[in-house]
Amino acid sequence: MMLKVAPSVIFLALIFFLTACSIEPVKPWDRDLLAEDKMQLVPDALEETLDAHIYFSKESSFGGAGIGGGGCGCN
Amino acid sequence: MQLKKKQSIRDALAVATCTLLSGVSQTQATEVNDDRWELDTAILFYSEKDRVEVIAPTATAKKAIGEDEFITLRAVYDSLTGASPNGASPTNTAQTFTSPSGESTLTTQAGETPMWEFRDMRLALGVDWERSTSRTVRDTLSADISKERDYFSGALSANRNWDLNDRLTTISAGLGVNYDLISPEGGVPDAGQTVATAKVLGDESKTGTSVLFGITQVINRRTLMQLNYMHAESSGYLNDPYKILSVVDSGTGATLQYLYEKRPDSRSSDVLFWKMVYHLSEDVLHLSYRYFQDDWGIKSHTVDLAYRYELGEKSYLRPRVRYYTQSGADFYNHSFVNGSVPTYASADSRLAEMDSVTLGIKYGRKVGSDSEFSVRLEQMVQSGKDHPSDAIGFQQQLDLYAELEATTIQFSYSTTF
Amino acid sequence: MSQVPINQSTELIQADGYWVGRFQAMASPCEILLETEDSALAKRLLQIAADEAWRIEAKFSRYRKDNIVHQINTSKGKAVSVDEETAGLLDYAQRCCELSEGRFDITSGVLREVWRFDGSDNIPDIPQVKQVLARVGWDKLYWQQPNLQLQDGMEIDLGGIGKEYAVDRTVLLLQEALQEALQQEPDTNFVVNFGGDIYVTGPRKGDEPWVIALDDPRASGVLSSGQIQLRRGGVATSGDARRFLVKDGVRYSHILDPTTGWPVADAPHSVTVIAGNCMEAGMLATFAMLQGKQAKIFLEEQGVPFWTI
Repeated sequence: MMLKVAPSVIFLALIFFLTACSIEPVKPWDRDLLAEDKMQLVPDALEETLDAHIYFSKESSFGGAGIGGGGCGCN
Repeated sequence: MQLKKKQSIRDALAVATCTLLSGVSQTQATEVNDDRWELDTAILFYSEKDRVEVIAPTATAKKAIGEDEFITLRAVYDSLTGASPNGASPTNTAQTFTSPSGESTLTTQAGETPMWEFRDMRLALGVDWERSTSRTVRDTLSADISKERDYFSGALSANRNWDLNDRLTTISAGLGVNYDLISPEGGVPDAGQTVATAKVLGDESKTGTSVLFGITQVINRRTLMQLNYMHAESSGYLNDPYKILSVVDSGTGATLQYLYEKRPDSRSSDVLFWKMVYHLSEDVLHLSYRYFQDDWGIKSHTVDLAYRYELGEKSYLRPRVRYYTQSGADFYNHSFVNGSVPTYASADSRLAEMDSVTLGIKYGRKVGSDSEFSVRLEQMVQSGKDHPSDAIGFQQQLDLYAELEATTIQFSYSTTF
Repeated sequence: MSQVPINQSTELIQADGYWVGRFQAMASPCEILLETEDSALAKRLLQIAADEAWRIEAKFSRYRKDNIVHQINTSKGKAVSVDEETAGLLDYAQRCCELSEGRFDITSGVLREVWRFDGSDNIPDIPQVKQVLARVGWDKLYWQQPNLQLQDGMEIDLGGIGKEYAVDRTVLLLQEALQEALQQEPDTNFVVNFGGDIYVTGPRKGDEPWVIALDDPRASGVLSSGQIQLRRGGVATSGDARRFLVKDGVRYSHILDPTTGWPVADAPHSVTVIAGNCMEAGMLATFAMLQGKQAKIFLEEQGVPFWTI
């Protein structure tokens, strides 16, 4: 199940930079789809916060999607 | 799903014209929503099989308080009741524990996972202040507090986003700090000591710092991608004051005594987080992957996939699957052999090697022009090594990892007024 | 044409239940029609409209030597950093170029060096056209906001967009001003008409259409004395019935196809289109002209009201 650190980091970097090579300069008038609410990185902030709280209290990992938010005695 | 009709030149021109004219007359556009609150409310029911139940009503309200300046207020109230594992290992006889506050005793039957019964509530409040300091720079300052009967947490964070490259790229950097105070009824027990005789100390605290760097990139008309790196450090009292562990006989596996857990007093973690949002003809796919590791020996992978399936103009279904897997902390074990308990030791199952799968479905529907109602149902199953190879004697017949099954139901309503 | 002095005067006349404000801009008679009893308000709105038209003319006319277009056209291959409004127009021009598959191109103005549409028979020869065509084409320039870099000898001309842009911009400004002035009665409608490029914000009181005279000095025949009735939308005309070339019995329109360097064959004399706003109408009319013989079919496909001459 477990991967070593290096492969997964390299894998991520690879995905990002490979796609970065194929970046298209999307003009303002072509940003209609990107502007839709459902295309936001976090379409439902409240749900994201509740989920982060649940998983933080049941698992040992936390963070990544953003910074901030308080802790709790649940972990 | 309906097929979009082929975009005519006229439609394309209308969009281009609109972009041009709205870009120049921005004052008109921003004035429309100026005085309105955006309100998101939800109530979450979280229920673990034979364990904890949580009811959490929550609300978030956002309002513009100036040109490109917003304030967001957040509140969550949690009410928790039920039982959670106390860390002690199941045995082939009944076990009796005195509750942390010393008021009652609890008996766990042979073969069962020992639990604490508890009842608690939590109130968490937060505020975000978001402001554009220039056309391409946006700052957010946040403050959060969370209060339980035996716990207080306060956090501050600052985040800055820079838009570059004609707003196709956003770079972000953030810094967060937190201070937590742990004050169980009757005081914090001396970590690592025998439960029966451990000294009781006063309140304890921990502090944390985290930094985050991220880049968000528009890949093409349909694809958005984000890559974040986060580093977090925490130090101080990192134990759970209620968690104990069983010290067992090396021959029979019988429990000889209970100790309070003891974790290192510092922790350093690193996270890489990647997310992609992809727009199909109507539907939207959200995919994320997170890699986490810390100096306690925990490494984890999280994959989260959600697909928003449009059911016409007004409603959608969003199935979701989340897979999580972690390796255990170096100092974790289900129980520890008498005479060789290490300096740091914990039997908190959350520090164990485990996998977790969440399956969920959400239904959302627009109501009126700017309101939305949604409901989601999710089922999570956490499983670990229930028959580890180092089980001793009768432990080999027992289930040493208590599987967790939890159901979440959430109702949400968003509106502006 | 040399530098055109701008005649900065306006006049306001009361007509049948509405005010008519007139002034000259962009080499055309301009007017706004406004249905209100309030003469002070009419006067203020007229001033806003005239100021905006003059501002846009001053900023984007290619006949002036003190503006961004002149700076770009004399940049001799160097990059020029442009302001946000100019950037918006360049983005728009690029989009129109894409949508017309290269036929609408704001760099095609230099073709006038060899094509003079004065009713004569001065047809350039093929090598002459080829030579000029080397300096035409959106694909030959570099545009990444805010930097525009033309090759030496290239020029841009926003004349094909400017007047319609001025109309739509003026409408926005007048709506803002009206909203401020008449908070109880924000449904006052009006017409902006800059030399035949028109926007009507809504019907007159009692759902009556506006009657607008189309006295475009460039037009001849029916349009010059024509009237249209309109309740809402943008109107624009492309074409010029008086500017053409005749050689060996062939009539060459003044619409040049930058992909070939030659006039579009069999184009209508003029095309008038009604659409959502003035820029949209103007660009559809221009696209139609560039389709030549297919102009009508193109407009029928787009589903807009139109007429051709």
